[in-house]
Amino acid sequence: MLKVKRINCCLGKNLILKDISFQLIKGDFLGIAGPNGSGKTTLLRTISGILPLTKGKVYLERKDIGKIDKKGIAKKIAMVPQNTFINFPFTAKEVVTMGRTPYLHRFERERKKDLKKVKESMLITKTWELRDKKITEISGGELQRVVIAQALAQDTELLFLDEPTSHLDINHELEILSLITRLNREHLLAVILVTHNLNLVARYCKKLILLKEGKIYAQGEVEDVLTSENIKNVYHIKALVKKHPLTGSIYTLPLCFDGKKENIRKKERIHLICGGGSGSTLMRELWDRGYEVSVGVINVFDADFETATLLNLPVVGEAPFSPITDESYRKNLRMIRDSEVTILAEVPFGKGNLLNLKTVKQALKERIKVVVINKTPIQERDYTKGEAMQIFEDLKRDGAVFVKNEAEALSLIEKTLSPDSVI
Amino acid sequence: MLKQRNKVIGFLLLIGIITFCVSLSIGSVSVPVRDILKMIIYRLPFLNNWIKNEPAQKYELIILSLRLPRILLAMLVGSGLATAGATMQGLFRNSLASPYVVGVSSGSSFGAALAILFLPGIFSVPLSAFSTGLITIFLVYRISQRGTRVSIETLLLAGIAVGLFFSAITSLLMYVSAQSAHYLVFWMMGGFGGGNWRNVIASAPFIGFGIPAIYYFSRELNVMQLGEESAIHLGVEIEKIKKILLILSSLITASAVAVSGVIGFVGLIIPHITRIIVGPDHRILIPVSALIGGIFLIWCDSLARTIIAPVELPVGIITACFGAPFFIYLLKR
Repeated sequence: MLKVKRINCCLGKNLILKDISFQLIKGDFLGIAGPNGSGKTTLLRTISGILPLTKGKVYLERKDIGKIDKKGIAKKIAMVPQNTFINFPFTAKEVVTMGRTPYLHRFERERKKDLKKVKESMLITKTWELRDKKITEISGGELQRVVIAQALAQDTELLFLDEPTSHLDINHELEILSLITRLNREHLLAVILVTHNLNLVARYCKKLILLKEGKIYAQGEVEDVLTSENIKNVYHIKALVKKHPLTGSIYTLPLCFDGKKENIRKKERIHLICGGGSGSTLMRELWDRGYEVSVGVINVFDADFETATLLNLPVVGEAPFSPITDESYRKNLRMIRDSEVTILAEVPFGKGNLLNLKTVKQALKERIKVVVINKTPIQERDYTKGEAMQIFEDLKRDGAVFVKNEAEALSLIEKTLSPDSVI
Repeated sequence: MLKQRNKVIGFLLLIGIITFCVSLSIGSVSVPVRDILKMIIYRLPFLNNWIKNEPAQKYELIILSLRLPRILLAMLVGSGLATAGATMQGLFRNSLASPYVVGVSSGSSFGAALAILFLPGIFSVPLSAFSTGLITIFLVYRISQRGTRVSIETLLLAGIAVGLFFSAITSLLMYVSAQSAHYLVFWMMGGFGGGNWRNVIASAPFIGFGIPAIYYFSRELNVMQLGEESAIHLGVEIEKIKKILLILSSLITASAVAVSGVIGFVGLIIPHITRIIVGPDHRILIPVSALIGGIFLIWCDSLARTIIAPVELPVGIITACFGAPFFIYLLKR
């Protein structure tokens, strides 16, 4: 339907797009993502025939788009811009009716079939009840729906959307993208969605083009393109990419900035004992502050294990659902000996991880500083019939510092380990 | 609203005819409407068989040589400025734009001043005003051109800059030539005191052609309200149409200024009022603005020549007296 063949595009003297090629077929839902200035919008304007190409060709149904007149293109491609400002009080219906412009001759009044199409588009987008309202007096979400209704009234096979929801509330965003997904599925409308929001792409698009500095960095199925590796290379951030159990689509979670971290790295090492997600936040906070962090002992596939792997931290892992073995215990103890401070996160204790608690006791004996986070009383997270509680008492007696929460632990560590500190 | 277009236009035509007859009859000498109708119909082919006895000769000079061309001129200028104003407001997507916004009025005034000072004559003043008006718009257009595209914002700013420049030179001319300054000031205030058939014949082709030509593009003007890029996506050849509309409205404005001086506020408030009455659809806004503009300026001119007769006020004073308070009201609304 749309074929883009090795195009270049210049704005002034700057080469904005370099050697872009892709194809779009009926029923496709293509996302175009990339950082600011990577050429997303320019690409959209180029392939819809607004900007001239400096190299390459764009084919619309096998015809060179440069040789099709504007009205001809308008019958094939509709566009929903980021925002629309209309200063004069047209009614919503008048605005949607303008979508029929490519089909009407000069002086020709809208025919029955035009008005039918207008009504149909307004019903799909739930704007029919707004038909007599003035466009200058409706809300941003309503206006964007009216603009989409206009694009639908244009009766095209291709729909381009340029950041269509970036000014909208999340409920309107969801509403509009669900609507577009439905049109894509039921009417086989081919859609191109330009957005900076990777999670929108992940959730709604089937294919994705990731742009970097005017070139295609990666393209293909969303799951293949949207990887931690690609995100790191394009956006320079570390991001978590996971399949969300509820939506079934992948989502990304930016974690931290990737560059410049090295020069604020601190030498102090902190060992974290955690599990079940209890240490993830603290792990990232410590990592962000530039400490060397090691973690242990946690089961593989544990939430904390994933965080540690993601942050590339040394971690002592244990097989899933298995109790801690002696070997892991010793490894863990070695890491504790290498660190200045050991933090015990708020973990529930069962038979499987009781050894972790015993490691801490051993560490205290070896005069290693221990900070214990103790928000939920140990009684409530002791599943060892009192054994853990007993060791907790020992820890208190042996001089472990008990704090109320993660923030307190962090400030305590910063105070203790800062170079000008007396302690 | 579009459905009621013919009704609205019919109604306004009726008011237009009444306005015409009444304003012909009033003045320093009042002439009965019956005699006026007789006189006009007598001059028309075929219809003159109706008139049995020849109309009274005594009013002929007043009506046919003085009032009729003057009223026709007011109608032409009023319609022209209102249409040009509606077009500029649509083009700039701003209801505060006016036909003078791209500097045509300042350019024309400069041309008129040149002619008044150095080449006085019946033809030279309007001719010079007309051509400098067009040169101005050409200049402004070239300044705001980037490649093949013209940005509306730059056009507006360039118009203001060029307009101020010409105004300054006009002021300088006025300052150094004390004896002609009075005439120049009078010309710049705008009026139909010099309205004659020559002026009607000079401006009628441009305005008579310009208004229907603009109407021809009224659907595109509507679509342009969505923004330029959206208009392109709806198949509108935006750069071409911008150029055409700019040229047409400048032609109308320049020819209006050339024959009547700078008459303010008609081009600003008439499209405004019309939009309130019939809505923003240019397919009805353009013709109705033209009608209301014509009627409005005929009344203003009638007032200008009768209010303190036999002395005449420049009509620009009357339109501004009505226009300014209304404009403030719109701003405050």
